Amino acid sequence: MVDGVILTVVKSVVLASVLMGFFAFMTWVERKLIGRFQVRYGPNRVGPFGLLQPVADLGKMLQKESMIPEGARPKLYLGAPLIAMACAIGAFGLIPFGNVATIPGTDWTIHLYIADTSVSLLVVAAIGSLGFYGLMIGGWASGSKYALLGGMRAIAQLVSYEVAFTLAVIGVIIQAGSLSFLTIADAQTPLWFIIPQFLGFIVFFIAAVAESNRPPFDLTEADGEVVAGYHTEYGGLRYAMFAAAEFINAITLSALGAVLFLGGPNGPLLPGPLWMLLKIGAFLFVLIWIRATLPRVRFDQLMKLGWKILLPVATLNLLLTAFAVVYF
Amino acid sequence: MSLVVFFIAAIAAIASAVAVVAQRNPFVSALALLGNLASLAALMLLLEAQFVAAAQIIVYAGAIMVMFLFVIAYVGPKSEIGAGDRKPWQPVLAIVAGILIAVQVVVVVFGASFGEAAAVDATYGGPGAIGAALVTDYLLAFEVVSVVLFLAAVAGVVFGTGARPRRLTADEVLVKEGESAEARRRAASRALIDAARPARTGEAGR
Repeated sequence: MVDGVILTVVKSVVLASVLMGFFAFMTWVERKLIGRFQVRYGPNRVGPFGLLQPVADLGKMLQKESMIPEGARPKLYLGAPLIAMACAIGAFGLIPFGNVATIPGTDWTIHLYIADTSVSLLVVAAIGSLGFYGLMIGGWASGSKYALLGGMRAIAQLVSYEVAFTLAVIGVIIQAGSLSFLTIADAQTPLWFIIPQFLGFIVFFIAAVAESNRPPFDLTEADGEVVAGYHTEYGGLRYAMFAAAEFINAITLSALGAVLFLGGPNGPLLPGPLWMLLKIGAFLFVLIWIRATLPRVRFDQLMKLGWKILLPVATLNLLLTAFAVVYF
Repeated sequence: MSLVVFFIAAIAAIASAVAVVAQRNPFVSALALLGNLASLAALMLLLEAQFVAAAQIIVYAGAIMVMFLFVIAYVGPKSEIGAGDRKPWQPVLAIVAGILIAVQVVVVVFGASFGEAAAVDATYGGPGAIGAALVTDYLLAFEVVSVVLFLAAVAGVVFGTGARPRRLTADEVLVKEGESAEARRRAASRALIDAARPARTGEAGR
């Protein structure tokens, strides 16, 4: 904690609120963009350009009856969306939006991050891996075979891609020589890591798409096979929490990509937070673009890609990076 | 502040440890163990061991417990243990082992003298310090552990998949196919002979 307890709590509340607002806005962007990709308008009825669509959706979700399916384990069933959501928001908490900023008109300075530790990257990975439990517990506690299968798929997929993901990120860590996001971002001042770590970036990006359960790797909720996967039995706000957790995970992974490969908050002219938003937005746009373009893969293709292609490529990248760092 | 965190984490650790053994459902037990590991990670953070705390969550919570839960969820509710499955000597052994561990803990806690906390610098417990220790002072142990883990992984694959039939060579395939064709011919002719035979006495008498 850099600023003491009270300021940290205030910053956390602000960050969580902004993140939820950003998520709501991004659902509108996603629907709008996918509409355009498919030569239709997307939501355009509620508010100007359909901008109030997320509010309408929230209103609809709020009205749904809260029910617990027969055969479910009530406590775990009700707790699972909370775990998913808390971990999704918590993992975002360590993303830096710049180093120190001065509040205009005063000489107060404020850190544009909640905490920067020597193990920031590991903490994000740790909280992210705890988030999987939300999916797994939700799938198991629903007492439904489709939910269980969806939860199992989620875990199998996440465990498989976590390995390649971590190995790809280790390349960046070796080159920057640190696990702290600020140091990693500052290590990219002459050249963004996307150039020297290009192999790692490719693996990172594919694994990130798979980890956020987004198409074409959304097998956990493949509607033709497991209905809606782990959240089959959830409705109303609890379903919304799972959906929010999933999208916020995508935002967090985009932010990770921005910090690890695109120089983070550093950039000319514009202030740090704006650069971060631009870079996160670029990642999210590509994610949505991919969703609108590619069909869903089969499960065996998913496993083959993860273990037989991404893992060796990530290992090669790691070895090359280590070699280059030691001998050049 | 750190005292508050310590007591919350310590109570959570003990409560979740009790829940691990008290819960009947293995899935819930595994979740309680997860809570226990998370509480331990919080305690490690209080001891300035940031890297170990993060690694504890990633390795145990993120990988090992996921596998536990995966297996338990697949095996299903049939694996819930009833009281009838207990062997009579198990509680006795458990109590003896428990008393031994309790005595050990008491001896260690009251035998040790607690002075002031050791002074640590800012890099203590960080990834740099741990990494340096692993590849210098403890290099041999580190490498041995990696070999042991590798062996364990290979052994797991070998034992888990069982003795797989090896891929046959082209000649062996021909022989096998010849054998099975021969066997099929014999079975067919035996069936013909059986059909031609007069009905057995047991059936005829019905």
